[in-house]
Amino acid sequence: MALLALGGMMALIFLGPQQSLAFTRRAPEDRNVLRVAYTQKLLPDPHRRSFPFSQYNQFVLSLWEPLVQCDPATSQPQPAAAESWEWSSDRLTLTLHLRRDARWSNGDPVTAHDFVRGWLRLLRQRIDSAQALFPLKNAEAYQRGNLKDARAVGVRAMDDYTLQLSLDQPRSTLVVELADPLLSPLHHTSPGIIATHGYMSMPSALVTNGPFQLVQASYDGFRLEGCKFYHDRASIRLAGIQFIWTDSLSMAPLLLAAGVVDLVTPTPWGRAREMPTNRQVNLENELELAVNSLDFNVTRGPLSDVRVRQALALAMNRAQPIQKYDPGHMVPAWSWVPSMPGREGLVLLKEDAVEARRLLAAAGYPGGEGFPVLRIALPLWMGGDPFPSAWSEQWFKELGVRTYIAYESPAQQATRMRAGEYDVLCNAFVATVPDAGDLLGTFLWPPELSGTKWTDKDVVALLVAANSKTGSERLAALDQAERRIMAAVPSVPVMFERRQTMLAGEVKGWYPDPLARQSLKRLWLDIPSVSAPATGTRL
Amino acid sequence: MNSLNGKEASPLWRNWRLWFLIWLAVTCGLAAVLVWDGWPWLRGEPQVAFRDTMLNQWPLAVIWWLLVPVALWLQNNLTMIDRRWPWTLGLHAFMAAVISALFVILQATRMVLANHLPASFLPVVINDLRWMGGWSYTPALVYLLLIFALYAFSFYREWRAGQELTSELQVDNARLETRLVRASLDALKMQLHPHFLFNTLNSITSLIRNNRTREAEDVVAGLGELLRRSLEHRQDAVETLEHEIEFLRQYFEIESIRFQDRLKVEFAIAPSCLQALVPSLMLQPLAENAMKHGISRDPAARLLRISAERDGTRLILTVYNDGPPLPKDEAALRNGIGIQNTCARLQMLYGDEARLRLRDQPARGVRAEIILPFKTANTP
Repeated sequence: MALLALGGMMALIFLGPQQSLAFTRRAPEDRNVLRVAYTQKLLPDPHRRSFPFSQYNQFVLSLWEPLVQCDPATSQPQPAAAESWEWSSDRLTLTLHLRRDARWSNGDPVTAHDFVRGWLRLLRQRIDSAQALFPLKNAEAYQRGNLKDARAVGVRAMDDYTLQLSLDQPRSTLVVELADPLLSPLHHTSPGIIATHGYMSMPSALVTNGPFQLVQASYDGFRLEGCKFYHDRASIRLAGIQFIWTDSLSMAPLLLAAGVVDLVTPTPWGRAREMPTNRQVNLENELELAVNSLDFNVTRGPLSDVRVRQALALAMNRAQPIQKYDPGHMVPAWSWVPSMPGREGLVLLKEDAVEARRLLAAAGYPGGEGFPVLRIALPLWMGGDPFPSAWSEQWFKELGVRTYIAYESPAQQATRMRAGEYDVLCNAFVATVPDAGDLLGTFLWPPELSGTKWTDKDVVALLVAANSKTGSERLAALDQAERRIMAAVPSVPVMFERRQTMLAGEVKGWYPDPLARQSLKRLWLDIPSVSAPATGTRL
Repeated sequence: MNSLNGKEASPLWRNWRLWFLIWLAVTCGLAAVLVWDGWPWLRGEPQVAFRDTMLNQWPLAVIWWLLVPVALWLQNNLTMIDRRWPWTLGLHAFMAAVISALFVILQATRMVLANHLPASFLPVVINDLRWMGGWSYTPALVYLLLIFALYAFSFYREWRAGQELTSELQVDNARLETRLVRASLDALKMQLHPHFLFNTLNSITSLIRNNRTREAEDVVAGLGELLRRSLEHRQDAVETLEHEIEFLRQYFEIESIRFQDRLKVEFAIAPSCLQALVPSLMLQPLAENAMKHGISRDPAARLLRISAERDGTRLILTVYNDGPPLPKDEAALRNGIGIQNTCARLQMLYGDEARLRLRDQPARGVRAEIILPFKTANTP
């Protein structure tokens, strides 16, 4: 009987109400504080980029300020810690002038030496973060340990407020690249504080130059308050930001629904679920500057024939599995670069099953006859991803091409990559610069680092030439390069991703950014002075 | 070993109260550690997060410790070997589902606490866990495996108890068999008494007819004494040779009246043999046979000698008379009641270790020889 009673109680919990629940009212001390959910461990260290990038960017850009920031409307560089800059006539030297009123959170002036210190520290980090500085002269050699003298690296403090950057070759996107949170300065006390986690017991010991400063740190998150020394403090409408750690991506929307947080980005993969409360929540979408692809190893068997690669690319119906599995986040990709501010994406590889079959037959494999089984190498973490299986099924259905999907550990994948023992590699590229050239630059990689093992000197020439051009000239060069790459199809772009952000109704000022570098200092809360009943628009 | 009637005390390790106390002590210890570790969070200190305390993860592991007594109780009370086994299986399946649900609820509670969600969100989080594939059925599997192991152990224990019971029954059977043998021996002994009484009463009748009343009175008195001694040892299958010889002396006192001066009885008993155990009333039938078939049939015969000696681990008893040789008809010899009884008793008591031989002696007379294991009351 006791057992039955226990079972009954549990059934009541399982079948309890899941709709129209009451949500928590904002506490008085949080009245003008933006509460942001994060799902991976955040470190108050600008030089260690963590995933998801959106959360890292929001956290670091709240505490630190790089030399420039991107305009929310045009993605063009605007002054931040630097108030102006100029190029040398050969476009190999960039001189930046720092604002004189910039201050650290302890009142110290922000100087060019702080940037040099920070950047040299970044060059001593892992290559995936440090490569943000590789356009600088000798930066890569220093990072790889081939150069010991830090003074040879192309960053120099000419005086306290003048920073000079030297390049090996022209790079027209360099200024906008300086908006990367990784390129934040570092106060001379910060390396020690970060290394010892001294900010946990004494948050104010972490000296930062951003619009907010750390006032509380715990395993539950971080609390930031507006910095009184910030040069543009008058424009900041938020009193503070609370970063709240949640257990998983799927928990974050629940926290938003419960009134515990105000901003969640990104949202969980898969179809959106209904919210359990009536809290007003707005969903914002933006296309990420990233691409998911299937890289063909062009050195392997039939894949060396461009007709085969084109056939495989045209046989893929991208929209079908996207509609089935995740229409909220995924977008079919028919070219390498998605649409972005100032540049519409191209349509180059739209599916055409008839043409795909014709091309495969012309290559000597009519109906897939005699075609070897393609080995698709996938990392273990993609085990639950339904898309590779869907594409594999389409190749078999449309072309008669059989595939074997191998899920492997990172170590096994690295070994297979080095040995080139795969046919197709599932890959994803994320841009760190708001420019089409950043994604297309993956085809400049040497064959030993590239998943496709493909290289084309004309494409290299076009991309290098684009780096010395600006405006429409640069865009035209990039278009030409992209069309040439997609004609050779060393890699099939399959999906772009739409980043979703969930915002409480009272959060205002949100703007799209293809690199997810929204600066939270631009947001504000519009809270009615008299508390209204807990009703709103359901998501 | 437990007795069958359960009156013997159980060993300490089988005392469930002891185990319950141990379980309770460990439970209290674990609870104390969890509370001690999570105390700052329980007090609401802002710097301490729930997910940083042991309470965040430990209860999922500790829950098994709490569930063990429940599983043991259920397994102990829901036997599988009866007609209710479908009901038992159903209850265990229900319990497995309850345990899985308990783990899901605990996991969801942990997430509600760690993420500062209102308690009303518990059903939502539970549903969310299912949505993410977070409902784990491993606890149900673990429970069923645990129950399976407990039943296996229980069946093994019952099998062992059955084995022990069989052994005890075998011992009891052996005891019963011994008692049966003893009863048989008593019955055999009861066959001797009428035989001897018949002869003695004949002798008394003869004495009275011959007006030898005085002697008849002595025989009656001696017979009474003989019967008394006989009844005294009635319960014993064996007795010392010394008692047996004493009994024979009484017997020969009666017989000497019947035979008067014709009978000469000699005893050659080694002193070391006096305490040897021999079947009670074993020698008397042989002495009676010697009188009946030896001394009585030959007027010249008059000697009857009883001897006992030890030969290593054997005791050799002989009854010799100088009467006529054994009859040629072996069947008649074997069918004699005294000989038959003696052989039967020896077989029952000693098996193949004892034997009886009857032999003519080269010059004159017949010798009956009994060889049996030399045992005393102190022999294990």
